[in-house]
Amino acid sequence: MLHPSRVEPSSSFRQEVEPELVAGLQRGDLAAFERVYRQFERAAWTLALRLTGRADVAQEVVQDAMLKAYERARQYRGDAPFPAWLRKLVINEALMRLRHDRMHVFEVFTDTEPDADAAEPWTQADATALDRALNRLPDTARAVLWLYHVEGCTHVEIAEQFGRTVSFSKSQLARATRRLRELLRTQSETTPCTLNSIA
Amino acid sequence: MHAEFDRMKDDAALAAALRAMPDAAPPHDGWPALAARIARRRRMRAMLRVGVPAALAAGVALAAALPHLWPARAPSAPRVAQQENVSASTAADVGVLRAQSRRLQAWVRTLEHDGAPLSGDALAGAVAVQDRIGLVDLQLSAATDPAARASLWQERNLLLQQLGLLHLQPYSVAEHARPTRGETTIL
Repeated sequence: MLHPSRVEPSSSFRQEVEPELVAGLQRGDLAAFERVYRQFERAAWTLALRLTGRADVAQEVVQDAMLKAYERARQYRGDAPFPAWLRKLVINEALMRLRHDRMHVFEVFTDTEPDADAAEPWTQADATALDRALNRLPDTARAVLWLYHVEGCTHVEIAEQFGRTVSFSKSQLARATRRLRELLRTQSETTPCTLNSIA
Repeated sequence: MHAEFDRMKDDAALAAALRAMPDAAPPHDGWPALAARIARRRRMRAMLRVGVPAALAAGVALAAALPHLWPARAPSAPRVAQQENVSASTAADVGVLRAQSRRLQAWVRTLEHDGAPLSGDALAGAVAVQDRIGLVDLQLSAATDPAARASLWQERNLLLQQLGLLHLQPYSVAEHARPTRGETTIL
């Protein structure tokens, strides 16, 4: 299981929530829930989109996760920060969707050795290029990569979420990293130079 | 040693690059849809609390009315007079059953409109029940005998109850579902 006791510093879920808002949500107060929803909609959407890679699925994930947050708010016992609990709902919902829709195809990667002297492409890639490359990764690989590097999940936690072994998580991460490297290098080689095209 | 250090450095660089990506903006405000969904679920829950007992009560009432719908089971003299009484009583029963059918039909319509989509099995079941209702309606249009009509109306009402309960099934499951120990840990 993923333990929601921590929210990684990078996560968009790292936000303060007024205790009265959580208490209102637990009472079923719709106005309180709307404030919570609006505060976390963007964070939830980003996470869902990164994990599923599809806007239509991400939209359903956010809606379902938020609905669960409203209906299960009483189950929140306060032993972890509320945003971490909410983030867990989104992760669970997204991964459940990946499993249910069989979106995760275990792609066979062509493993290439990185050039030891070359700088890793993500040190130079802009967010758009990184986003494009991420979207071209197989769903499981992308989800593992994101959970590990951004959400701070351990391999044990990821393996449990996917119902697989720790080796599975490690190999998916290694392959996703290699694939991302390839994609970014290909992109940088094929992207036409704007100055040249103008000239 | 060096390789391990390089790998960790690369990992840190990748993590930093991913974490530096800006948040994505949702395509539109999702709150209205979510609020509407919550309102629908509240209505369904209220309906579940009221509707199921009502449907069960209707079933019990129908069962209690059964002996009156076939009163000629033990014929006795004077036969003609009794048949006249039976006709009058059956005609009244038909009226009651028709009114009950209208109420059940309205109930089912509300469930179809506001309820959650049916699962594959429930949908197949609902289609089968609707077919049977169509058949009963066909028989009703041809039946002239009051006792036969009463029997058909009664069958129609039972089918409508079945249809309604099919639509309530997902809510019943959700209402009674309790998270397992594992789920509680996850969520």
